[in-house]
Amino acid sequence: MTTEAADRRGNELRFLDPAILARIGSLELKARTVVEGFLSGLHRSPFKGFSVEFAEYRQYLPGDDLSTIDWKVYARSDRYYVKKFEEETNVDCHLLLDISASMGYGSRGVTKLRYGSMLAASLAYLMNRQRDRVALTTFDEAIVTMLPPSARSSHLRSMLVTLDRIVLGRRTNVSKPLHLVADAIGKRGIVMLISDLLDEPAAVIEGLRHFRFRGSDVIVFHLVDPAERTFPFQRAARFRDVELGDELMAVPSIVRQQYLDALQRAIDGYRRELGSVGVDYQLLDTSTPLEFALMAYLSTRVKRR
Amino acid sequence: MFGLSFLSPLFLVGVAAAAIPIAIHLFYRRTEPVIEFAAMRYLRQAPVEESRRRRLRELLLLALRVTALVLLALAFARPYLAGAAGASGEATVVLVDTSASMSAPGQFERARDRAADVVRAAPATHAVAVLAFANAADVVSPLSADRAGALAAIAQLKAGAGATRFRAALERAGEELGGRQGRIVVVTDLQESGWDAATDSGIPEGATVEVEQIDGPNANLAVTSLRLESGEALAVVQNFSSVAVTEQVVFTADEGGAQKRRLSAVPISLPAGGSAEARLPLGDLQAGALMAAISDREGFVADNARHAVFDRGSAVSVVALTASGHPSESLYLERALAVADGPGGFRFRAIRAAAFAGFDDGELDVVIVAGSNGLDERGRQRLAEFVRAGGGLLVAAGPDVDAAILSQALSGVVATGWRLRPPAAVSFAPDDSRHPVFRPFGGVGTLGNVTFTRAALVDAPDGARVLARYTDGTPALVEEWTTAGRVLVFASDLNYRWNDFPLQPAFVPFVHETLRYLASARATRTEYLVGELPAAAGPTPGVVQLDARQGRARRVAVNTDPRESDPRRMTVEAFHAGISRLQARAVVAAQAEARREEDAQGLWWYGLLLLVVSLAAEGLLGRRLG
Repeated sequence: MTTEAADRRGNELRFLDPAILARIGSLELKARTVVEGFLSGLHRSPFKGFSVEFAEYRQYLPGDDLSTIDWKVYARSDRYYVKKFEEETNVDCHLLLDISASMGYGSRGVTKLRYGSMLAASLAYLMNRQRDRVALTTFDEAIVTMLPPSARSSHLRSMLVTLDRIVLGRRTNVSKPLHLVADAIGKRGIVMLISDLLDEPAAVIEGLRHFRFRGSDVIVFHLVDPAERTFPFQRAARFRDVELGDELMAVPSIVRQQYLDALQRAIDGYRRELGSVGVDYQLLDTSTPLEFALMAYLSTRVKRR
Repeated sequence: MFGLSFLSPLFLVGVAAAAIPIAIHLFYRRTEPVIEFAAMRYLRQAPVEESRRRRLRELLLLALRVTALVLLALAFARPYLAGAAGASGEATVVLVDTSASMSAPGQFERARDRAADVVRAAPATHAVAVLAFANAADVVSPLSADRAGALAAIAQLKAGAGATRFRAALERAGEELGGRQGRIVVVTDLQESGWDAATDSGIPEGATVEVEQIDGPNANLAVTSLRLESGEALAVVQNFSSVAVTEQVVFTADEGGAQKRRLSAVPISLPAGGSAEARLPLGDLQAGALMAAISDREGFVADNARHAVFDRGSAVSVVALTASGHPSESLYLERALAVADGPGGFRFRAIRAAAFAGFDDGELDVVIVAGSNGLDERGRQRLAEFVRAGGGLLVAAGPDVDAAILSQALSGVVATGWRLRPPAAVSFAPDDSRHPVFRPFGGVGTLGNVTFTRAALVDAPDGARVLARYTDGTPALVEEWTTAGRVLVFASDLNYRWNDFPLQPAFVPFVHETLRYLASARATRTEYLVGELPAAAGPTPGVVQLDARQGRARRVAVNTDPRESDPRRMTVEAFHAGISRLQARAVVAAQAEARREEDAQGLWWYGLLLLVVSLAAEGLLGRRLG
């Protein structure tokens, strides 16, 4: 693929609608589509040079990994040379994905869980390309799956398979799994929480503070469905809680403003409280292209350097 | 035991309207969508309502709406608590006819035997009661299982002199049944005249009526009338048979105390089915009691004698006060009363109003004020005292009567006043045709033929009663009760000046009845029928002394009802036809009773009150639901 072609493709795919993206079959393909499109777009962006960089060739020495031999050089020079790469970073990235029942809500064809999965896959793919070690944890009120950190491509594949097969969990309890994961993490790293944060804010913040205490950088992707952002309902209806099953009777025209105010207060609260403890907070509408999420991540990395 | 009944149960169909809010409720629920939502945490902070609580509220709202509709239907159905329900068990009530028409020789013995047979043959499970009836029914053996007592009571019964009144007897028997299922056995001669007394009564629906017919004589002679006419005693004897007979009427004088003097026996010839008069000049006999008797051995015994009292004080004493005392000023009153002059009728005099203070003519029953000019202070005082003492006063508010003088004279006694008004042609009609003054007219509009060219405008005070009104709605005849007597104010004159009343046929009966009514506080009637007086005074024919009232003790004659002498009998079928009418009437009477009970209880008001409360609650709750 030529640079121009990659450029063109990147432009086409750069702001893929998540709803359209969700129709692509495999999650690996989705992640690749997003990340490559994103990275090709970055050629003109100020964020270049963050991936794993080529350092030098050196002559093969017994004991070197055979897979690192550059066979093209061997073909030209009849000597064994191995590529030497320099890893810029060597951090563990922990992806924490909320799979509680409330994440199953989606008003535009893509649920928050689907969006969160694609985001997690894209981030995993991106970090895998950078040879960062990536771990994945899914949770509802408890930890459901936990893949340890690894930079292997096979690990990435199993991670993507895990994400692809996620089944909706039960009630939300963000803080408890956060504390468990925080205790389990051995070394400093980057923690990325993908959740709709429909839990007690103080408990969530406390859980994230635990990571900060352990020296990890934390990024929170707060997923919100467009219907949750705007409350577009018109007719009086009974609103059934997707987690608890109880119902509330409401006339949207009467309750809309109070609802939006409550939501905004919560968002402002998270932004303020998390900012004060050094946690990056990113509000993501599930209609927002995933590239924005990746950009948010990268900008966070820039700040950390 | 009381139960809820309804005066207009058809309105209960309206309860079905309660289905409307229920249907709306269900329909509304179906159309309300359910939306799955995740961010309920924030929605709960808005003023929404939990669906469960809202559903409870909606159910409450529905209940209130349904309640309101049900209450509306109930209120329209006019509920009331029905009276005590019937007693339990079955009963046989034996009604034994003891009227005068059962007094033929040997007739009542047969009736007793038949009644005893009925008691003996009554089903063992039945309680038995025995009632004797004529004008009214008396329980001689109350409802019980005691057959011996009932038989003993029957053995004591005797035929009396009362008239047959089936209606009253059946009603009393129905009361005795007290709502039980059972039968009423009437032991009677089925006299035809027994049905005609009209009273609103009936027998219970659950009762059956059987008849034990006792044959009576087909022929009967009866003294049906005894009166005094122009110094003669006149007895009328009726022959209720198909053969002509000769008979003699024996007149006996009762001059007070135990003295009885046979005056004479007058022979008469009676054609078949006809009557004859026996006349006897009384000569110097001016007061006392008289008896006319025949000796009919075949027919009823009770109607073989008739009594009359011709005491002087038995006539209603009437004084008319006129302006000048000239006979022409009370001409029509005098002529109207002259037709009933003498004992049992009227004694009329007309005097100047100015002479009333000094007027002294013994007992005075009624004063007619047809002129007030010259009524001096003493006369006014006497008039007031007369009314206070229970005298009757008729004021003819005509041209010669000054309202101011009468008002001043009767101040504190009579409050009714009047004033003159412009001439206008009106007529008048009774407000209540059942009032004694208008009873002879029987609701027939003969009074409507009277034309008034002028009339007084009477102000009827509170407590006064308007008996008749002019066609323009103003009072024409107003009655006011004083502590002891009665006062009538006629809003025109009675001497052919402001109206043509004296020329109308209704004038004479109107004047008679009015004056009798005014005098009735000092009753002057001299003849009563058996059963009309309290039982202690007149259970049998004869002359009785009535208790002294208002200083006047008097004797009256008590006679058998002439209709009771007619031996014609009806068939059992005809009797049962009368029963059907009674039962139909019982239904009407029950409805009337239900209406009275419902009126008295007024439960529908409470229903409407609850309706308002439920609607108010519904409004408040509905507003909260939005």
